[in-house]
Amino acid sequence: MSKVKSKRVGFKLDMTPMVDVAFLLLTFFMLTTQFKPPELAKIDLPNATADRKLPDKDILMVVIGEKGEVFIGVDAQPTREAMFAKTIRKSLEAAGLGAGAIEDSLKKFRLAEGTPVRGNDIKQVAENLERLVIDARLSNPSLRPVIKADMNANYETVEMVMQTFKKTNMPTFNLITSMEAKPAE
Amino acid sequence: MGGGVGAPEQSSSRAKKGKKRKTKRMGFSLDMTPMVDVAFLLLTFFMLTTTFSKPNTMEINLPSQEMKDVEVAASNIFTLRITEGNKAYWNIGFEPPIPFELYETGGDKPTISKKFKELVMGEKEKVRARVNDDVMVVVLKFDKTAKYRNMVDIIDELNLMKVNRFSLAPFTDADREEIQKLGAATPAPVANPQ
Repeated sequence: MSKVKSKRVGFKLDMTPMVDVAFLLLTFFMLTTQFKPPELAKIDLPNATADRKLPDKDILMVVIGEKGEVFIGVDAQPTREAMFAKTIRKSLEAAGLGAGAIEDSLKKFRLAEGTPVRGNDIKQVAENLERLVIDARLSNPSLRPVIKADMNANYETVEMVMQTFKKTNMPTFNLITSMEAKPAE
Repeated sequence: MGGGVGAPEQSSSRAKKGKKRKTKRMGFSLDMTPMVDVAFLLLTFFMLTTTFSKPNTMEINLPSQEMKDVEVAASNIFTLRITEGNKAYWNIGFEPPIPFELYETGGDKPTISKKFKELVMGEKEKVRARVNDDVMVVVLKFDKTAKYRNMVDIIDELNLMKVNRFSLAPFTDADREEIQKLGAATPAPVANPQ
């Protein structure tokens, strides 16, 4: 009896295999992680049972916030640069900014996830959005339009964006939704 | 300072005498616990921050600009009008719109009501019985102040019911008038018609 229950005070375990696995996983996660870009606006996605996945690249994303704010963003930096060169640079120059300041804002724009589309009323926003969409498509014709809208956004804004897509010859687009389980049939 | 420099010298001079100097490190063991701690901390961090899942999307196909309008018999058109505050009205053809509850009342999460499903399926069957073909077209008209979620919920529901013939139409002043007319006639326009 005394042999079976030896007190395990100085108990030691070989941790090497566990550490191996831990490091393997650590390396895997470190290499595969893509950090979520900071959100342009807080978006509450609507639920739907749709299960198509968003493609990895060539995305033209229009974000609509709860109060109707509109943002536009593309995923590739060259496209961002082209958008900047065509539209935003001109408006900055018109505003009387120096070359250095423009260079700075280009740097910022290249790294930003998107840019707000401004306008005093919805018509102006629509015009500005259309111009930006056309610029983006000129530099990358294979862009896929995507709408990411808050579920409490007014339909007016969503309709405006859809009409802009239609006008710019992109009648097929995707709406980002959050997954909801399919009801049992 | 002097002590710090002196110490290794002392040991090396002692080593010259041999014997003690080169102990073979066969059973060498290092306390790996701190390293493992850090490794697991990082592992947990990366596991929790990784987003593997791509966002889900719903595809919408609008008719392109060049496409001509398709003419559909009015009796095959199921019009659905949604206005502010989830108020929903339906009608067939040119009949006056009838209010109904779009969302199930009660419950913490708004879900599309059974009434809506029954309506669409019932009218679809009626049209099929009449013309012997599945030709009912659902026309969705959303007012400016309707919410985006209304659109997503309805399109999703239609997709689930396999009602593929639907289209989005602008909500015109005529639509607004019709609903206002209705509001004047019946004191409670959103009352649940049971």
